Amino acid sequence: MFHRVIHENWTTIVPIISFVFTAGIFLFVSIRAIRLPKDRRDKLARIPLD
Amino acid sequence: MTTSITYDDKTVRRFMTASIFWGVVGMLVGLLAATQLSWWQMNGKFLETITFGLFKGEGLAYITFGRIRPLHTNAVVFAFVGNMVFAGVYYSTQRLCKCRTASDLLSNIHFWGWQLIIVGAAITLPAGLTRGKEYAELIWPLNIGVVLIWVVFGANFFWTLAKRNEKSLYVSLWFYIATIITIALLYIVNHLSIPTSLTHSYPIFGGVQDALVQWWYGHNAVAFFLTTPILGIMYYFLPKAADRPVYSYRLSIIHFWALVFIYIWAGPHHLLNTALPHWLQTLGMLFSLMLWAPSWAGMLNGLLTLRGAWDKLRTDPVIKFFAVAVTFYGMATFEGPLLSIRAVNALSHYTDWTVGHVHSGALGWNGFMAAGMFYWLAPRLWKTKLWSTSLANMHFWVGLVGILLYVSSMWVAGIMQGLMLAETNPGGATLKYEFVETLSQINILYVLRSAGGLFFLLGFILCAFNIFMTARSGKAHDDTVDVQILEKTKKDTMTIGESLRQDPVIYSVLSLAFMILWFLLPHHADKAALAVTLILIAKAVSLFKKEGNSWGHYFDRLLENYLPFTVLIFFAVAIGGMVQIIPSLLVNKAANTEERLQIPYTPLELVGRDIYVSEGCYNCHSQMIRTLVPDVMRYGPTEEQGYSRMGESLYDHPHQWGSKRTGPDLAREGGALAQGSKTMRVGRRDNLWHFNHFWDPRQTSPGSNMPPYPFLFDTKADLKSLPKRIAVQTTLGVPYPAMTKDEIEQSARDQAMEISSSLVQAGAFIPDKPEMTETELMRHLADTEIVALIAYMQKVGSYEIVDHRREGKALDPDSIRKQGKAEPAISPTTSKR
Repeated sequence: MFHRVIHENWTTIVPIISFVFTAGIFLFVSIRAIRLPKDRRDKLARIPLD
Repeated sequence: MTTSITYDDKTVRRFMTASIFWGVVGMLVGLLAATQLSWWQMNGKFLETITFGLFKGEGLAYITFGRIRPLHTNAVVFAFVGNMVFAGVYYSTQRLCKCRTASDLLSNIHFWGWQLIIVGAAITLPAGLTRGKEYAELIWPLNIGVVLIWVVFGANFFWTLAKRNEKSLYVSLWFYIATIITIALLYIVNHLSIPTSLTHSYPIFGGVQDALVQWWYGHNAVAFFLTTPILGIMYYFLPKAADRPVYSYRLSIIHFWALVFIYIWAGPHHLLNTALPHWLQTLGMLFSLMLWAPSWAGMLNGLLTLRGAWDKLRTDPVIKFFAVAVTFYGMATFEGPLLSIRAVNALSHYTDWTVGHVHSGALGWNGFMAAGMFYWLAPRLWKTKLWSTSLANMHFWVGLVGILLYVSSMWVAGIMQGLMLAETNPGGATLKYEFVETLSQINILYVLRSAGGLFFLLGFILCAFNIFMTARSGKAHDDTVDVQILEKTKKDTMTIGESLRQDPVIYSVLSLAFMILWFLLPHHADKAALAVTLILIAKAVSLFKKEGNSWGHYFDRLLENYLPFTVLIFFAVAIGGMVQIIPSLLVNKAANTEERLQIPYTPLELVGRDIYVSEGCYNCHSQMIRTLVPDVMRYGPTEEQGYSRMGESLYDHPHQWGSKRTGPDLAREGGALAQGSKTMRVGRRDNLWHFNHFWDPRQTSPGSNMPPYPFLFDTKADLKSLPKRIAVQTTLGVPYPAMTKDEIEQSARDQAMEISSSLVQAGAFIPDKPEMTETELMRHLADTEIVALIAYMQKVGSYEIVDHRREGKALDPDSIRKQGKAEPAISPTTSKR
């Protein structure tokens, strides 16, 4: 695996990894945000700031 | 004295409706084109399935990628954004001038004329009628229509300015003036052509000169059609929606003048590392980098206008769309200069990274500004409430996810393909990947791009439905207001001469003139020019310190005088174009080429080239090997090939350097004359390979996504119009020998017969015509477009070596024509390939 990434096919692997990584995080937090219950959302939005 | 004025909002409603309609059409065509890159069957074969076998065929000419990609770009740029711009300009100009548009008749002609041109484009582009220049594909009768309608628009606009009841011109109006003037200039110069028929013409520029003019236009179409008018709209509608004045008036002055002056110089960044002279490439890169500053000044001015109104982001979809649109403007104008750096461009150019960049501007900046403006306008134009805020919010999120998916997949596809194309095997002497391997690798990203485009389209359909329901729930309404009539003596009192005889103008012009002389003059004289420039700048600074107030007063007066203001804008944009284009007009001649000179096409090859242009092959194939090691290794590895020289495309009207490689470069596809033949050439691949490739690209290149072209095997080549075409080429300076009409046609027929005979001898056959005998097949093929196209493919990039220094005299194309020789004999030391 490391030989492939470092020496052989890095141009085909690294850009895809970066895309999957970014899209994955984006998807994860999006799902997390959408599934957050409304009362929890409202409570967190109203945490006192002072 | 006051008067009551009713604004012409009918025209605004019309343009807005047209924009939404053409927007959906343009995006739908874009989606089809995007899917074609993943599945070649989308070029027509899919019709077999959806018509249950009623349509039969491997491809349909009218919807091949090369034909509908220009339809997509033209529809989105000129139909969707164009109509949106006109809606915004008509609405805001009337209110900023406190008067009704000058002429309802001109407004009507403008609206219907523009829609007629769009319909004309929608018919001619799929029919393969094109000029072969990106974003300038429309045929010459439509070009004339565009110019006439633009003049109508301009006349109506400036007439309204003359009738205005507001003394000063607001920022938005400056941007509209710049748009009208500059687009007229760009459009006319880049569309100068000589017709050969009602539907065909050759541009008067050729080769490197055509490339330079094209991208001067192409880049500034983005600048002055997709940016400046939208900025004008931003400066009007964003403060209205946020209910706040613009953040900084001073910043808007800097933003406007810096943008207008700098933008026009940046075109050559589309031609980095090519045969374009180096000084032009450097100018293009530097001015692109400088564009960062004014562009971000505009973005910050827009975003900071929302100060104190950010809470509206939670509730108001209009503000949501505007905030994201302005952010995308900032991101796209950051990315643009980045891509203009030569080293970055070496990786990004010809790849999908550029496509991603363009779409972050088109979908994010233009698309979202349009949506925000429509949602703001609709309730006012139909005097009602927006039908559904929730639907608008859903449009926002669906559209935003669509854009992000689109641009991120294109970034990754572009970078990955660029890296793969430059990758070598251990030892560094050979390339690691075939072109088609890179294509297979990015296919998954192409699928994601289509998904992103689909999301954006769905969002826009929601917008169309929402606006339609809003209109249905209300009633068309034109605003009526009472305004104070402005006396004629209180506006437009400055003459053009007076406006030019001012210190700021005089010192700017003189400094710029001496700076240009610094570039152009020989040694020592250039240093003197630089010294004078510095002295002039120092003098201007000292004068400004002393008389700064009067300079400010002059600018204020300028804003109360629209004609002098317009003239100054014209000068600001004309300077950049002149400095870049005039020198290339003077040097782009055979006499000035070094080392290599293109061999003109034979009549049949010219027919083939016109088919190549007509089918839009330039949308996927470049004909320009850049001065970069990976390019040379892949496309021109031998010493006699190498990178593309300026002289190799000197006679190409239009040039076909391309801007994107979905397929490989073709600059070295052609080759020398076949043994024993006077006309037939054999290049990198033989005639049979090309024959099979056009019938079914996957037969010769497994994994290719190129459309099949079965219709070329039936359509007869147009030889009748050849004499006219060659006459026009000769007028443009291509050194054709003197030939009669019969000689031209006979030459084409002889060459076609030689190629078709070679094809039949090699075992070629048409799969859907198995009954043809060899003789019938030979005669049939000799008449068809496929043979003409093969003739062209085998000629592409053919040049001869010339050495003017050794010869000691310059080439004179006219003298060659007079001698009546078949091909220009340049020097005793000439060799050909």
